[in-house]
Amino acid sequence: MAPSSSSGLTFKLHPLVMLNISDHFTRVKTQLNPPSSSCATRNIPTTVGAGAATSPQNVRVYGCVIGAQRGRTVEIFNSFELVFDPSSDSLDRSFLEKKQELYQKVFPGFYVLGWYSTGSEANESDMHIHKALMDINESPVYVLLNPAINHAQKDLPVTIYESEFHVIDGIAQPIFVNASYTIETVEAERISVDHVAHLKPSDGGSAATQLAAHLTGIHSAIKMLNSRIRVLFQYLVAMQRGDIPCDNSLLRQAASLLRSLPAAHSEKFDDNFLMEYNDKLLMSYLAMITNCTSNMNEVVDKVKTAYAKKSRTGGSRIPFM
Amino acid sequence: MSSVEAVITSIQGLSSSSSDLSALHDVLKGASESLRTDSDLQLSTLDQLDPSKHSLGYLYLLDVLTCGPVPREKASDVVLLISRFINACDAVQIRLASEKFVSLCKRFKDKVLELRDPLRGVAPLLTAVRKVQVSTKRLTALHPDCLQLCLQAKCYKAGFSVLSDDILEVDQPRDFYLYCYYGGMICIGLKRFQKALELLYNVVTAPMHVVNAIALEAYKKYILVTLIHSGQFSINLPKCASTAAKSNFKSWSTPYIEVGSCYNDGKISELEAVVVANSSDFEKDNNLGLVKQAVASLYKRNILRLTQKYLTLSLQDIANMVQLANAKEAEMHVLQMIKDGQIHALINQKDGMVRFLEDPEQYKTSEMIEIMDSVIQRTIGLSKNLLAMDESLSCDPLYLGKVGRERQRYDFGDDFDTVPQKFSM
Repeated sequence: MAPSSSSGLTFKLHPLVMLNISDHFTRVKTQLNPPSSSCATRNIPTTVGAGAATSPQNVRVYGCVIGAQRGRTVEIFNSFELVFDPSSDSLDRSFLEKKQELYQKVFPGFYVLGWYSTGSEANESDMHIHKALMDINESPVYVLLNPAINHAQKDLPVTIYESEFHVIDGIAQPIFVNASYTIETVEAERISVDHVAHLKPSDGGSAATQLAAHLTGIHSAIKMLNSRIRVLFQYLVAMQRGDIPCDNSLLRQAASLLRSLPAAHSEKFDDNFLMEYNDKLLMSYLAMITNCTSNMNEVVDKVKTAYAKKSRTGGSRIPFM
Repeated sequence: MSSVEAVITSIQGLSSSSSDLSALHDVLKGASESLRTDSDLQLSTLDQLDPSKHSLGYLYLLDVLTCGPVPREKASDVVLLISRFINACDAVQIRLASEKFVSLCKRFKDKVLELRDPLRGVAPLLTAVRKVQVSTKRLTALHPDCLQLCLQAKCYKAGFSVLSDDILEVDQPRDFYLYCYYGGMICIGLKRFQKALELLYNVVTAPMHVVNAIALEAYKKYILVTLIHSGQFSINLPKCASTAAKSNFKSWSTPYIEVGSCYNDGKISELEAVVVANSSDFEKDNNLGLVKQAVASLYKRNILRLTQKYLTLSLQDIANMVQLANAKEAEMHVLQMIKDGQIHALINQKDGMVRFLEDPEQYKTSEMIEIMDSVIQRTIGLSKNLLAMDESLSCDPLYLGKVGRERQRYDFGDDFDTVPQKFSM
């Protein structure tokens, strides 16, 4: 599992595949333990491609990935779900072929490239399924999505495995090796992924929540940019100090990045920029003062209610102190 | 006698950890009465203890030693001993017996004043204030003493460093009045009239049932400082001043009100006449210097008024309108004001014309960004404090009781959750 692939194939993964897998997993998980605890256990028909397991966290879903292979590039475009037969511990073959035929009609250029599943690591039983698929595709790929949400992890929890024959204990055995991949998007995919990433509140939200959502998005984007730049900066500083051996290609890339930054350094630009910046600061200052004033108002009201003395006539209160 | 030695050994033994310290505290409390009458206790016995490690015990013994009258020769030794103790003591131990520490420091201050050497006491009291303060936002009883010493010693900068903390919690109103009053005087000494105005305003509008002398003196200075700083005088107190203040202050400070109303008219000669007439009153209150500054500021106010009416003016005209002696003096005044940033003008020396300009601040420099940033941060901090205060008030039983009683009057039907009419406290 640890060694990386040496087959020289480059893998390109489309976001649609990841969305499909995660959607499949979420659907199955929700169906297994519905949110309202009033419904007791429900019998899940095994015809829906669910990997039946006892605890909801171990639910595994299985499916097939399809795409096209051009030369050394393997591009994974789409995926569909498969039925898992727990008795024989393999995928339902007839169902797979039927689905494959249907997809072939709609997407003529796509072939079955491999299969997917969810979990944290690839294990031995997966190798059976992998071998079973080998007669459709000589070297299938195995896409593994880790559904555990880890906030510290910044990368996608998707790994692609290939199978290679390594000699272990004198016997040539296939094992899974890690393959690197890149994300490739079509324009339509980019728009939809963007839309999913910025989920708007269902009722359209007031202007305030929309503004807050918009600003939060910008804030997180800038934060990520800042951390990436910081990493790059520390790397360059370390290179300058001599801690890390100089890598000229990286230096060239960094230099080209810097040169592509906007080069407007004229005085007029600085002037306008500072003026706009100061205007925005003044507006946020005004907002802060308004916020403070409203807080102060609340405090004063509470103090008046708690500590003011009521005049005996019961009419207007005498002023506080 | 054995009790002194017993106390000393227990101090030396029990000064290490917090549980020991509370035991020691109880021992000392019990022993303090007997120690008072003990003649064996001398200043020299204190040499057996180390002020930084045995602060609590040292404090108690010092307190016992100094509570009686101290002969003159010994006074400066005592002062030296106390200042060394304050510098070396451990803040945590001191806070266990903060009232004793405060009274010790007050006695220290009195001795220093007796010796007519207030400068010796300034630094120790500054450290004492920092050590007794539980948090930087709390006013202690030592703050006004420290400020008083700074005033007597005329080292205003040291006093100003104490003033730069924002105070949010106050234990005793008297401390607060004194703190603001002395603080205002220190700011006047440093010529920071804006901050002085804020502090004096706090005293004048502080809640009080009965007029107290501190507030009255503060009011007199407040009038003068408003004249110097903003050039306006209104006969009415600010709206939030207490009713006691509103009804009584005016009757006690008539000469100042006369000065104020005369200032409003803007005639220098009349103002000077009024000042001379009431100078004995001003002398009595030690405010004569301030009054003279107010008179000087009338020129400034008049010149400022001119900038709003004219675009250009000759120096001679300025001198005539402001009733200055000649054009030279007018030039001096205008120059001074330009340097202070009070007006923006150009003096053309060839033909003696002054051209008044608009404020050239465009608010688009990077220094302005830093100012704005710090101001916004300060406002955010203030907002957080207010929110904390709001929350604590919402849990205040007094408030909840009153709110519960009021809500009964509004009957919104069944879907209004009923609050119990009376909270049993």
